[in-house]
Amino acid sequence: MRLGRLSALSQEQIVLGMAVVLFAVFALSIDGFLTAGNILSVIQNVSVLGILGAGMAMSIIGRGIDLSVVSVMAYSVAWTLSAFNQDVNLYLALLMGFGFALAVGLINGILIAYIEIPAIFATLASGTAVAGFGQYFLVDTDVVFVSDAVGRLMSIGSGRTLGVPNSVISLAIVAGVLYWILHRTVFGRYLFAMGDNTRAARVAGIPVRPMMVAQYLLTATIAFIAGLVTAMAVESMNTRVVNSTLVYDVILIAVIGGISLSGGRGSVRNVLIGTVMIGVLLNGMTMMNMPYTAQNIVKGAILLVAIIADSFFNPRDEQTSQQGDI
Amino acid sequence: MDEIIRMVGVTKEYRGIPAIRDVDFTLRRGEVHALLGENGAGKSTLTKILAGVTQRTHGDVLFEGRSVNFATPAEALAAGIAMVFQENSLVPSMSVAQNVFLGDETFFNRLRGKYIAAQQLMGSLNFLVDPWANVATLGAAKKQMVEIARAVRQNAKVIIFDEPTASLTPEEVAHFFSLIERLKARGVSIVFIGHALEESLRIADRITVLRDGEHVLTDASANLDRDKIVQAMVGRSLSNEIYARRSERKIRKPGRKALSVQDLSMGNIVRNNSFTVYRGQITGIFGLIGSGRTETAKIVAGVEKRRFFHGGEVFLDGRRIRYRVPRQAVRDGIVYVTEDRKIEGFFDSMSISENIHTGYVAAGLTKGMVLRLDEMRELAEHWTRALNVKAINTDAQVVELSGGNQQKVVIAKSLVQKPKVIFFDEPTRGVDVGAIAEIHQLIGDLADQGHAVVVISSYLPEVMNISDRILVSQNGRVVEEFTPTEATEKRIMYAAVH
Repeated sequence: MRLGRLSALSQEQIVLGMAVVLFAVFALSIDGFLTAGNILSVIQNVSVLGILGAGMAMSIIGRGIDLSVVSVMAYSVAWTLSAFNQDVNLYLALLMGFGFALAVGLINGILIAYIEIPAIFATLASGTAVAGFGQYFLVDTDVVFVSDAVGRLMSIGSGRTLGVPNSVISLAIVAGVLYWILHRTVFGRYLFAMGDNTRAARVAGIPVRPMMVAQYLLTATIAFIAGLVTAMAVESMNTRVVNSTLVYDVILIAVIGGISLSGGRGSVRNVLIGTVMIGVLLNGMTMMNMPYTAQNIVKGAILLVAIIADSFFNPRDEQTSQQGDI
Repeated sequence: MDEIIRMVGVTKEYRGIPAIRDVDFTLRRGEVHALLGENGAGKSTLTKILAGVTQRTHGDVLFEGRSVNFATPAEALAAGIAMVFQENSLVPSMSVAQNVFLGDETFFNRLRGKYIAAQQLMGSLNFLVDPWANVATLGAAKKQMVEIARAVRQNAKVIIFDEPTASLTPEEVAHFFSLIERLKARGVSIVFIGHALEESLRIADRITVLRDGEHVLTDASANLDRDKIVQAMVGRSLSNEIYARRSERKIRKPGRKALSVQDLSMGNIVRNNSFTVYRGQITGIFGLIGSGRTETAKIVAGVEKRRFFHGGEVFLDGRRIRYRVPRQAVRDGIVYVTEDRKIEGFFDSMSISENIHTGYVAAGLTKGMVLRLDEMRELAEHWTRALNVKAINTDAQVVELSGGNQQKVVIAKSLVQKPKVIFFDEPTRGVDVGAIAEIHQLIGDLADQGHAVVVISSYLPEVMNISDRILVSQNGRVVEEFTPTEATEKRIMYAAVH
């Protein structure tokens, strides 16, 4: 007891510190790292990761996890694009893709809330099913290109506004809206309450099951937005991304920023710090010509260090577990 | 009698904040020594230092004359000090014998030998526990026997019990006391953290009282009585305040009928339970654990899941109700204040004001979907003042508070929901003595304001002292009703166990 407030450093601060140190080291040792252009590109490269991470953080705060985000992102947007390329009206195509994402979110929510399957298994299975379903029924090719006819939609992922890349602005908007939802709405309060103590939330009169469904609808929505931003940034949607380690990177940035996997703790800020950290790291390593496999070693090591540092500074000893009874 | 343990000037600090300060404590060989004090007085810390769970910051501990500082519980155990924790440390999926020999497995584990050895051990202690039984199937008392057997097998010279009787029924408590006697007869020295004063007075040879981390008193229990101990615990005489004589108290008349439960059944826990609750008075329900009183309240308040709901009817103000989730009950004005606030009471990661406000939001009392922070602040200010919650400010985390203040926050979280019918399940469990009186006062005020209040308790003086009607629950149903004037401890207990 009494210690929660006093604990010297949170994981969030540690990670922020690590990001600053890394930034300084790269800035001194790599030519061209400390240019405005490079710094913007750091953020731009990870903005999609940040959007997905924000959604993941939201589901982890509610004591869940959504491993299907990458599949949902890839196939909902790929379907939208391929329908549009086959002369479906843009708005209808967007509606189809979004509807598909929501349907997956709804199924996830029902599986988890009403059939009581652990979130990690339910979404792992549904992610695989979505990938298979998408390949078989929705899109014919692995890569679906964006035609210029999408018009202004293009600007959510590419181009700049006042010198800032639009994908970064998209991240900022998603993060801002999510922050508002988490801290200023009834939904957000319910989510924190559920993640903190599901039974207490239920007894207090919070609609726990409908909330869980809403939570997975929201992560699916964010996945769809992330997919659109990606597609507009690189002018295509490569569905092979479902076979990549992207989903682990998404969890990485949420966890590294200090979102507690046990639920109820953390916020959007943690994700942004995690995103900056990973962005700096990836950019620096790429500029040093480090091979992709070696980068994975570094990412894994960094995650471990962050977790070890957290348990060192905020030990889960009898004090934290006994809570209030010295 | 010679001393087996002597602690001199022991201080334990958690990051600079002392949990116990300069405490002296001695344990004689073969004695039963009770440690008493309010929550947060430092009882657990003291025993944990002895058992090697934590280490002291200053001071010295002498065990059989040698200075010791155990780094781990295993080291303490090797020296002969065993601790039996409140949350028991058995492996539920294993058999009794496997648990007794846990941590002592050889590479080729001969189970047959273990069962025979365990049976002999149980026999020598006179414990009626089947070594083949799965621990998950045992009751609380038998689990405790297994833990004790484990400590005895490890040749413990000192056994420390952390609130051993908290989860036991009166019969099991009586049995536990006979176990203590048997251990004592074998020459084992015993320290136990007590929570009921009468029990400690009955079983202990000597009693030590701690207050705010400091040693207040150690004396032979023959020289002490309830009043002296309470005074030492809180620093002032409170027992009269808390348990005022019933004759001096006005008994509230029943108001309109609020809730009527008819033939409620659920499995074999609640059987054809029928009773009525009136507005403007406190209905006390006394019953032992397992008598179906908590489950009945939970069914009425929608907390118990409906699929276990087997039959019967519940009427609120004459209207038939049947809730699937607590949300519906909360919106109709029925709240259930839990007996276990850590598990279903408050939210650890939230501040006092967020906890209280969450109750308000969950009852659908906010307008629209957007939270108003000024509303949250006002609510928190009002309720922490009304309930006298002692905290630095309303942004403090609930986990930082004492048990009594946590309970007040949990109560406030339910009261902001504007209930008509309030179930308090063990409202003063794990609450420090000072706060008990305040909570009782608060419950009385609620009844005076016209709420229908139900207090479930397995502590007789509490039920007898605050209730305007006393219902006794036994074997899944209310079996007897007393007025406070006709109720005696004996009559109530008789109804509850027969």
